[in-house]
Formats: sequence, C-alpha cells, structure tokens
Amino acid sequence: MQDFLTLVLEPFREVFAGFKRFAPNMLAMLTILIGGLVFARIVRALLRKALTALSFDAWSDRMGFTVMMRKGDLWTKPAEAVVRVVFWFLVIFTIMIGLSALKVHAVNTLVAQFFLYLPRVLSAVLILVIGYVAAGFLSRTVLIALVNNGYHYAKVLAEAVRLLLIVLILAMALEQLQVAPNIVVAAFSIIFGGIVIALAIAFGAGGIEAARRIIEKGAAEKSEGKDDIQHL
Amino acid sequence: MSDFYQTGVITTLHRLGKPSLERIEGELLHFSRTRPVALVLPALYSEFEGPAMPKIVEELSKVKYLCEIVLVLDKASDKEFQKVREFMAPIPGDVKIIHNDGRRVMEIYDTFKRNGLSVGERGKGRSAWLAYGYVIANGKCDVIALHDCDIVNYSREMLARLCYPVANPNLDYVFCKGFYSRVTNKMHGRVTRLLVTPLIRSLQSLGGEHRFLKFIDSFRYPLAGEFAMSTDMARVNRIPWDWGLEVGSLAEVYRNYSPRRICQVDIADTYEHKHQVLSSEDPEKGLMKMTIDICKSIFRTLASEGIVFSDGFFKSLSVAYLRLAEDTIMKYEADAAINGLEFDRHEEAKAVESFARAIAMAAETFMKNPMGTPLIPNWNRVTSAIPGILDMLKKAVDEDNR
Repeated sequence: MQDFLTLVLEPFREVFAGFKRFAPNMLAMLTILIGGLVFARIVRALLRKALTALSFDAWSDRMGFTVMMRKGDLWTKPAEAVVRVVFWFLVIFTIMIGLSALKVHAVNTLVAQFFLYLPRVLSAVLILVIGYVAAGFLSRTVLIALVNNGYHYAKVLAEAVRLLLIVLILAMALEQLQVAPNIVVAAFSIIFGGIVIALAIAFGAGGIEAARRIIEKGAAEKSEGKDDIQHL
Repeated sequence: MSDFYQTGVITTLHRLGKPSLERIEGELLHFSRTRPVALVLPALYSEFEGPAMPKIVEELSKVKYLCEIVLVLDKASDKEFQKVREFMAPIPGDVKIIHNDGRRVMEIYDTFKRNGLSVGERGKGRSAWLAYGYVIANGKCDVIALHDCDIVNYSREMLARLCYPVANPNLDYVFCKGFYSRVTNKMHGRVTRLLVTPLIRSLQSLGGEHRFLKFIDSFRYPLAGEFAMSTDMARVNRIPWDWGLEVGSLAEVYRNYSPRRICQVDIADTYEHKHQVLSSEDPEKGLMKMTIDICKSIFRTLASEGIVFSDGFFKSLSVAYLRLAEDTIMKYEADAAINGLEFDRHEEAKAVESFARAIAMAAETFMKNPMGTPLIPNWNRVTSAIPGILDMLKKAVDEDNR
C-alpha cells in the first residue's frame, strides 16, 4: 500500500519540486515584463513630448517622410508613428528579456536569434531612411539641373533617378535583412543591368549619326590643320 | 435677352438671340482636348437632401466635355459620404468626392496647421481651395469651373456658358464670372443691389476714381458664386475663407491679371437658390455677418492699394452710402413696378439701415486690425512650405474614393 501511495505521490512531488525551481524564474519574468511595460510607457510619454517640442511632424513633412507614409496609406502623424514603433520595440524587447529569464533552452535559442537579428533590422531602417532622403535630394538636383538646361523631360528623368535609387535602397535593405538575399541580389542585378544595357543600346543606336559627325569633323580639322599651319 | 452694352473695364458676354446649347457643348468638347475642364462643387451634406442636387446630378450626367468633377463634401459622416458617392454614381466620367470630415483629409488639414499655414475655418472658401489643390495635384485639367450646389433651377447651359470663355483658346480669357438676375415674384440679391454697388460708388465719390473700384463696379453680379478660371490662376490666387470670398477673390484676380483677360458672362435668365436671413440684430449671423466680411475685404484691398482710411473718412462714407442706397431703392422700386414684381420698400429700407450699421462695424474692426481679413495662402506657397503636400492630398482623396 505504501509503495502504491509513493507511486501516486511521487509525480506530484516532482512537479512541485519543478515548480519550486521554476517559480523564481517565472517571478523574475513577470517582474521584468511589468517593469519593462512601465518603462516603455514612460519612454512613450517622454518621446511624444520631445518630438512635439522638436516639431518632428513639420520636419518630416518637409523632409518627405510624411509623403512616404501617406503613399503607404499610413495616416497617423509621423511623431506618433515613431512613438508607436519605439513603444512596441521596447515591449518586444521586454518580452524577449522576460522569456530569457525563464531559462528554457528552446526559448533561450529564440531570444539569442532575436538579439542577433536586431542590428540587421536597425541597419536596414537606417539604410531606408538615409537612402530615401538622399534619393529625394538627388532627384531634385537632377530636376533643377535639367530644367535649367532646358530639357523637356526633366521631370520624367528626375522621377526615373528617384525610382532607380529607391530600387537600389530597397535591395540593400532586403539584403541587410537577409530576406532571400540571393534572389534579391540576382533580381537587382538583372533589373539594374537591364536598364543600363537598354540605355547603352538606346544611346548607341540613336547616336550613330552624331558620333559619325564628330569623328568626321575631328578628322577634317586634323587634315586642314596639317596643310595650313607649320610648327617648327 | 439682354442689351449688348459693355460695362466697365472687363468684357461682358451677353445672351443674344437664342444660342444653341448643342453648338456650345460641341465646341467645348472640341476645346477640352487642348484645354480640359474640371468642375468643382463645394457642397454640404444637407444639400443632398434638398431639391437642387438631384436636378444638378441629372444635368451633369449629360455633360460630355468635363475632364473631372471634384465635389468637396462638408459636414458629412462616413456613412453620409458613402451615400453621396452612390448619389453621384449616375454621372459618367471621373468624379471624385473630397470628404472634408474624413480621417485622411482631416490629417491633411492638420499638416497645414503644424506647418504654420492657416487655411481658415470650415466653409465654401476653404472647400473650394482644397478642391483646386486636388485639381492641381491631378495635373489633368487646364480650366476650373465652380458653381454652388443649391441652384434650384440648374441647367447644364449655365455650366457651358460659364466654361466657354476660358476653355476657348481663341478668346484668351483667364477668368470668367457668371451673372444673372435673381428674380422670382420679387427681386432678391439684396447684398449686391443695396450694399456692394452703392458702397463701391460711395467710395468712388469720396476717394475719387480708383482702378480697383472701377474693376469691381464693372461686374454686374460681383457676389455671384459661379466662375471659371485657368488652373494657373488657382495656383497663384489667395482665397478668403469667410464671406468675403467673392469680393476677395476678385481682388486677387485684379492684383494678378490684366482686366483685358477677365470677362463676365450671362449664364441664366434667372437664378434661384437659398436665401439668407438678414439677422440685423446679430452681426455674427446671416446677411449681417456676410456684409461685415465683404466690407472688411473691400477696405483691406483698398488699403493695400495705398488708400488711407481715417475715422472721418468712414463717417463720411456712412452718410454717402446711406444716401446712395436710398436712391438705389427708388430705382429698384421703379424697376419692380414696370415688371409687375412685388416690392416691399420698408423691408428694403430696413436692409439698407442694417447694412449701414454693418459698414460702421466693419470700419471699426478694420481700424483696430487692418491685417485681420483672412486669406488662405496660394498653392505655390503651400507647396513651397510642404513639398509633398499635393501628393498627399491626391493620395487621401483617391484612397477615400477607392
């Protein structure tokens, strides 16, 4: 009878012992989660105030970030979008740290992967932001230069430059995120190479006459120069 | 049929004989290939529950030369916006509705505000201005026509005659204002008849000839809300958002273009829309508010032209106006008598007294703050402050209409 009771109670003892071992970890996770959420809320409030004080929305409007958001049908204010991104980033960060406090092997692996991937996400975001500003700047420069030189297709060419740069930036960001890097690089090479070849053919075929005239003119000047002027 | 007398410094296009609607629409269809026309309709949701809008939609569904119709809907919920979309569905072609109270358009207004661009309060001026922005952003049309949505006796001939002078490349007009008589069994249009014309002529008698006063006086119905203009004009003109909209817009036209390129056209034998109450005791409502805003707009324009105002000038103006307006009442009494129209002389005199009070109030406000009359910045300035605003506006409207 004693053996039977031991058999029945043993699993309970083991579970209880396991729970005793696990409880501090669980408590640590809950503390981290609560603390992290409170921290995230404080950061959110402070960031909201700071961005308002810095007129971040108006700055985004002028820099073109707002247009980028609107083109993606996002109609929240830029500052609010940043605040939300930071808040949810902190929440996810907190959850990851909290989960690591549980000391479960599978979860620990997941958390480690998350932290290893984080720098890539940050650099991809940085590439996108800087690239978008640079694309806008270069496109505007091309537009002004071409308009001042009297080209009819200035706007189309400026838009083409912007589009090409955005394709390049997207490819760089995706490569950074390791999203099917081989396919991205191959697709980018094909598109970019195709465009360059198309331009080369267009200029080459269209410029045959012009090139002939330049060469003939050069040759004629050379031969005329030989007859008229003698250098000692 | 009217006479063929040319009034003042601008061109007047009369209704002579019986012009064929088919001919004028046929020509407009031809012109629209080189000068596409957009129609802007500022509307309140309540106007869709009235008698005018069904007739307007029915008539517009027969018009073939319009490149796009942009209706700016004010004071409407999301559900009401959807109802209006269904209401406008019979009109073929490109019809876009700007939902002023929608989430996206509200965000556009917020973008103006945070960039220090004051676009004023809700009203016809602000709605029309936003619609011009959408037409500019779309980049499809060279001519913009605008009319109200409360015209009970609307016919597409009004629109055709309004568009014709600006759409016709051989005529070279950049702005065309409609005119008509507002007569039922009596004469309406008190603010034009008894305020604007007598006030302008009183100002001329006190301050002498002035080009702006002569320009305004050339219009047979300066407060008519129907006009057509080139899209380029919509880029450079500022618009008042208050009741000074019509006079203030004419002041901007005067400032930016030669009168040779401005015309007015007879668009209808008669014109019937909602009538405002006088509310002579409350300067914040009805015709009194309208009168004060109009007077402020005129005073501000004249001040910007170098006219110096003083308390003494305004006192003389009140007296001169009162006398001229009383003479005007007598003229209209005779006009009503010969045409067999009802004419309440006492009511007309009461209106003149109220208008005289309104002029005094406007003068007082102007002396306290001469810069106070509100103007919405032109689109060139807006795009300079917020380079991507036209793209944002286009996206907002297109998404709302998807």
